[in-house]
Amino acid sequence: MIGLILAENWFVPFTDIIPIVLEGFWVTLEVIIAGFFFGFIIGSIFGLGRLSNNKFIYGISSVYVEVMRGTPILVQLLFIYYGLAAMIDVNFSALTAGILAITVNAGAYIAEIVRGAVYSIEKGQSEAGRSIGLTKAQTMRYIIWPQAIKRMIPPLGNQFIISLKDTSLFSIIALHEIVYQGRQYITTTFVIAQPYITIAIAYLVITIPFSLLLRRVERRLDV
Amino acid sequence: MIKVQDLHKSFGSFEVLKGIDVEVAEQEVVCVVGPSGSGKSTFLRCLNMLEDITSGRVIIGDDDLTDPKTNINMVRSEVGMVFQHFNLFPHMTVLENVTLGPLKVRRVSKEEANKTARDLLKKVGLADKADVYPESLSGGQKQRVAIARSLAMNPKVMLFDEPTSALDPELIGEVLETMKDLAKEGMTMVVVTHEMGFAREVGNRVIFMDEGIIMEENTPEEIFNNPQNPRTQAFLSKIL
Repeated sequence: MIGLILAENWFVPFTDIIPIVLEGFWVTLEVIIAGFFFGFIIGSIFGLGRLSNNKFIYGISSVYVEVMRGTPILVQLLFIYYGLAAMIDVNFSALTAGILAITVNAGAYIAEIVRGAVYSIEKGQSEAGRSIGLTKAQTMRYIIWPQAIKRMIPPLGNQFIISLKDTSLFSIIALHEIVYQGRQYITTTFVIAQPYITIAIAYLVITIPFSLLLRRVERRLDV
Repeated sequence: MIKVQDLHKSFGSFEVLKGIDVEVAEQEVVCVVGPSGSGKSTFLRCLNMLEDITSGRVIIGDDDLTDPKTNINMVRSEVGMVFQHFNLFPHMTVLENVTLGPLKVRRVSKEEANKTARDLLKKVGLADKADVYPESLSGGQKQRVAIARSLAMNPKVMLFDEPTSALDPELIGEVLETMKDLAKEGMTMVVVTHEMGFAREVGNRVIFMDEGIIMEENTPEEIFNNPQNPRTQAFLSKIL
């Protein structure tokens, strides 16, 4: 009898599960793309801040990076979603909170990626730029940054995949992402194995094409 | 054109330049020679403030570089610098390397910048390389592009920091030829170099530096044939 129930539940067709997980797939994609985009902007600002001669800018940037790298993203998410609401009465939707969590967390790691890449460009490059009369900002924009971007691509790809997987934690605030959707299916149907497999595949559907694309970009840019 | 007064430069507690006084006249070619560690490269880099000056004054044309009111970017745009390791921008074509300064600093039109750049590339013998990237060039070609890049700013002075030291021996000649042409046209030049032949032939004056000071300066004939300072004698006896 028990065996029969298990067997019955095991043979649920995947076509039952996929549409439900697919809803979460789009939410996950939205969170990671928006979060990583803003994270790159934040990371670029603080990464360059970490290279600043200005002690104040350097200090702020360092505190940001250390705090955000040194605390779990789950804690950051819960603080953004519940903590801020209690503290200053801002209520973010689960989606906004998720995007913000990725932004601030990935931002810190990206800041280190940016700092490392910019720092790795030979000093002679900026000297050559300055010696033809370019300002510091122009030298960064036209000479250092375009070269540094190339060196950032491999570690950024790595961080993208890490951050993507971090979004799986966001089911805790009832964000309807991949894991949340899969678990909803489990609690309503008691089918357990297939949803988890589907969930795993949903992430691979993003990461594998992404990795292949990245490899092509790297080859094109010759990094 | 260049006036340097009591120039001191320290890195931390280590004093590299211990009071340099030099004047360079318009159209003069001054070669700076000396053993490594003598401070000659640091001296050259102080002339366009790539190194902060610890004390003393550097005046280029009418601009006092040590005056905080001086627009240092403006001065640098009129002082060309050629580096030992070329420092071309690898993500830009040769033409883009040469036009970047005129476009972004002088704000000339693209057509004008391209035309000037192509003329200069022709002058340094690289007209056919305008659209390639620096990585496909030989060291000598890279250095000639670097010279063209500096000339595109129409500088009042050109500084050369050991421009042939990173080159294979057979490529040195083409760079020296380019520099010689420049000198003939009346460019004011300060050249840190180990090429004594060039100093002798092209230089109007040779400065011998050691231990952060100018030990001796004179015409090339006097320095090479009749050095007065024992340090100069010892140095020349080792390399000639």
